[in-house]
Amino acid sequence: MNTQAIQILFLKDLFLSRWPMFGYLVGGLLSVMVTCLPSESAGFIGFILMITVTIAAGIHLIGALLLAESIDMTRTFIMSLPVSLLDYSIAKISVVLVAFLIPWFGMLASLTILNFVVPEAKPGILPFLVLLFLFMLGGFCLQLFTAVVTESVGWTIVVLVLGNVTLNLFLKMLYEHPVISQLNKSEVLSWPPVVLQIMAIEAIVILIALGLTFMFQIRRRDLV
Amino acid sequence: MSTALHQPHQTTAAASLRGIAKEYKHFRLNNIDLEIEPGTVNGLIGPNGAGKSTIMRIMMGLVAPDQGTVSVLGQPISSREASAKQDIGFFSDDMRLYKSESIAFHMQFVRSLFPSWDEEYAQQLLDRFGLIAQQKVKGLSHGQRVKALLLLILARRPKLLILDEPTNGLDPVAKQEVLSELMQIVNDETRTILYSSHNTQDVEQISDTITFIDRGRVIASNNRDEFLDSWRRFKLQAPQNWQAPSIDGLRPESTFGNLRVMTTDRYQTEVEARLQSSGATLEASEAMTLEEIFVAAVVRGREEKQ
Repeated sequence: MNTQAIQILFLKDLFLSRWPMFGYLVGGLLSVMVTCLPSESAGFIGFILMITVTIAAGIHLIGALLLAESIDMTRTFIMSLPVSLLDYSIAKISVVLVAFLIPWFGMLASLTILNFVVPEAKPGILPFLVLLFLFMLGGFCLQLFTAVVTESVGWTIVVLVLGNVTLNLFLKMLYEHPVISQLNKSEVLSWPPVVLQIMAIEAIVILIALGLTFMFQIRRRDLV
Repeated sequence: MSTALHQPHQTTAAASLRGIAKEYKHFRLNNIDLEIEPGTVNGLIGPNGAGKSTIMRIMMGLVAPDQGTVSVLGQPISSREASAKQDIGFFSDDMRLYKSESIAFHMQFVRSLFPSWDEEYAQQLLDRFGLIAQQKVKGLSHGQRVKALLLLILARRPKLLILDEPTNGLDPVAKQEVLSELMQIVNDETRTILYSSHNTQDVEQISDTITFIDRGRVIASNNRDEFLDSWRRFKLQAPQNWQAPSIDGLRPESTFGNLRVMTTDRYQTEVEARLQSSGATLEASEAMTLEEIFVAAVVRGREEKQ
């Protein structure tokens, strides 16, 4: 493993994705600010915008950093350099993940802060938001896995659509859950066992998806 | 003939492929043996889809062979190995740079991976190729893109250059600029070039050794001058019932009435005399161009396969 090559490839991709990453971060922060406006419909619009920005960031970054490299044939150029498949895989999967996590984390962190700063906010909603963001991170990791395995825009979009349908069902489940729905209205932040259990399942899905993504990528025999 | 005339042997070859096979759905690369001597220019000629690009990709570790071994610059090659690539410059016709970035961005990126990067030479190449470092890749013409890629390859001073159809689609001026640069590199006897094309004229211009590939097989491989010397075309006037003498390597090419056209890949001066004594009148004994040799070799290879 050549750590210097990994670092160079990582920074190159981070540089290439700087504008979309920055755009999604700004868009995400604006949508968070909209949720804080003193109107119920503004809060709803801000919430929808936040989810939209996260989903768009995921598919855009996977497309631009991963699928485009195969479609635009820039991978042939990269793999002609003194870079092994392991170096390439570590750099590529890490950078796609980091590029997504920057707006993702920016939104979650700003929401957390605002929940404690804005007087009208109810800090009890934070576990719900963490569950939602982890769910979207899991969906992103599954799209990443699909993109790596199939190298197909079509299949990645299929997984994206399935993820969105599942997200709606997941939100419905959270709203209807007696413990979680109560938490959303609470002035006090607490982490009941059911929240921790769902978080654990989400973390396992994320880790398995990332592990499989890496495993499939480094077992690839033909790179072009 | 399924094997290259340059059989692999135990020397420090610039590249060595032994028993390479690769199966795709509609194509099979079949038992490729190839030895590339250091300091030589090797042309790989084949029609589109012959397997030239697959061989080169296997040599770069971009494609894993189903069978056989590959070593380049004394090191085994696979997608898991990167060290040999430090001294290899690979160009492929379908290789692309990042559209939204400039040539300067790519130069800086490649420089960061190659301690051998020669900035002065890179600047000379920019000038010689008429490229502007700040120009974005998406604004480059096909010829400029090829030149930009060659700049990125040549400025790292690789010991081995693997060039897959570098002159494909270039206008005559750009083609000559590229070939001139390659010919300058050829003067450095420590550097080895493997050059593929379906254009025999380009390959003939710079190659020491030439290998013909067709339908995934090596059909002939030889020193360029030996190729040109060993192939010959004969035009004969012969009666309908004329039987061609049994001469090693002599094959009929075409017949127009009494005019018979025959070729040999093992020309010796006594062939003309034997043809004359067989009852035919020899009208012409012509040297063949590399393109004619290539076509004849492909036809022979396909006949032998059938």
